[in-house]
Amino acid sequence: MTHVLSMAIINYLCVLSVYVLLGLCGQNSFAQAGLWGVGAYMAGNVLIHTAMGSVAAFVIAIVGTALLAFGLGFAFFRLRMYYFTFASIGLMTILNGVFMNWEPVTGGATGLKNIPTFNLFGLVADSEVSKFYIIMTIGIAATILVEVLFSSPLGRSFMAIRDNEMCANSMGINSLLTKSIAFGISGALCGAAGALYASLSGYLSYQSFTYAQSTIYLVMIMIGGTVSPVGAIAGTIIITVLSECFRSLQNYMQLIYGLGVIILMIVQPEGLLGGWKSLHEWIDKKRISKDAARS
Amino acid sequence: MSGSIKNESPKTLLVLDGVCKNFGGVIANDHVSFKLHSGEVLGLIGPNGAGKTTLINLITGIYQPTQGTITFLGQPMNGLPTHKRAMLGMGRTFQHPHLLGRCDISTNIIMGADMYNRRHGAAKEDIDGELSELLECAGLENIKMDDPIDKLSYGQQKLLEVVRVLLSQPRIMLLDEPAAGLNNREGQYVAALIKYAVSKGIGVLLIEHSMELVMSICDDITVLNFGQQIAFGTPAEIQNDEEVIHAYLGGAKNA
Repeated sequence: MTHVLSMAIINYLCVLSVYVLLGLCGQNSFAQAGLWGVGAYMAGNVLIHTAMGSVAAFVIAIVGTALLAFGLGFAFFRLRMYYFTFASIGLMTILNGVFMNWEPVTGGATGLKNIPTFNLFGLVADSEVSKFYIIMTIGIAATILVEVLFSSPLGRSFMAIRDNEMCANSMGINSLLTKSIAFGISGALCGAAGALYASLSGYLSYQSFTYAQSTIYLVMIMIGGTVSPVGAIAGTIIITVLSECFRSLQNYMQLIYGLGVIILMIVQPEGLLGGWKSLHEWIDKKRISKDAARS
Repeated sequence: MSGSIKNESPKTLLVLDGVCKNFGGVIANDHVSFKLHSGEVLGLIGPNGAGKTTLINLITGIYQPTQGTITFLGQPMNGLPTHKRAMLGMGRTFQHPHLLGRCDISTNIIMGADMYNRRHGAAKEDIDGELSELLECAGLENIKMDDPIDKLSYGQQKLLEVVRVLLSQPRIMLLDEPAAGLNNREGQYVAALIKYAVSKGIGVLLIEHSMELVMSICDDITVLNFGQQIAFGTPAEIQNDEEVIHAYLGGAKNA
């Protein structure tokens, strides 16, 4: 159970990365699971081959993945609108191929084994519970940082690009640079998730970092709603709980998600959180009209 | 800062020299030249399709001129992207308000202060005081800041866009039909905002169809017809210019 919760938070960090990129900046990427993998393999290799420790591996994974995403963003965002999404699909495919075939670094098809667990300056997290607390702390910290980003000038320039790129440009916002920064920040979140995953599971297989996993992140944020990190949390919890409850139906889960998302997008395009908001507005309206009728 | 500008003789901010723009065979602007000075309101009028909005898009760098040069603050603009021109102090509004649809009103307004901060590399002082003054000019002092943007009427949205640009304290402000679709009262708010801009030494280029506004507020007016500059002068001169009257009322030589 603790392991499931830890995995849920790791997934949540990736969903949060989608929130930053799609929810704030309006750019849709299918490469988030690939970036997650980049962070995981970076941290895994640092932990296996050096004695720098967990904190260094964590920082290297974050910075490395962020720089990679920023650099690629600088190339990709020369494409406009959904062409970036196409490029991200290409990136996902390439990354998966690299994970599968770059044996010295990723262990190839056999995977990367025996990654040491968290070691915070001599304190070794050998139980699932202590691992959970570490991951939980990072999850909370990331949420706070994203909230800070939301109300910062940088966050506002993301939203300006999302809502109206021409208006953003006329206010001195450089689209290419700003979108690349958004992709870089989403890369940092994926990198953090990857580093945590490497130490949590101790083993990395290229089969974890797939296109299908990227889609699940999108499903999670679509179900929760892109309006705030709460949507990312809600979506992650719902999907995680559902897939745990219906383990026997695992083979059909993709189908159920797919149908669920289609129905949700028709009925409530802003996700469940958006649905919650419109429910409130509807109740308020009813109340006002009732009061008006009474008086 | 604004005080020091007022005491100087008007400074030339924007110079257009023989600016041409062709879209395939269509000539949208044909050798347009004028100067915009600090604290001056320059009207740009002409019938629909005369090339007025194209000209603003050329100045802000959305299009590149086919021929001719645009100089802003003594710096040639050719090839410079829109955001860099904005960073030099070029503020603009759009014919249809370009606001951030999914953000609340306060976020939309703060974007203006953000732009100032980006340009100057320092936080803007006394935003609240300036903002309340601007909102009063725009007749928006009673709006709720955390409302979504679509709670505002069309006119209020257009006024808010001007407020946002002014909050960024640009050197020039390009207004693309700020009073179109607005009622009389809101039109007066536009005039108040333009006067505010002038008092801050901002050079204003005003595209507008409301002759009442143009004639009452502009120092000089330039008239475009089929991309060509057919007249330039004070409002009184323009009102009596035969070619202008022909262009507007029909029956001109080239119509």
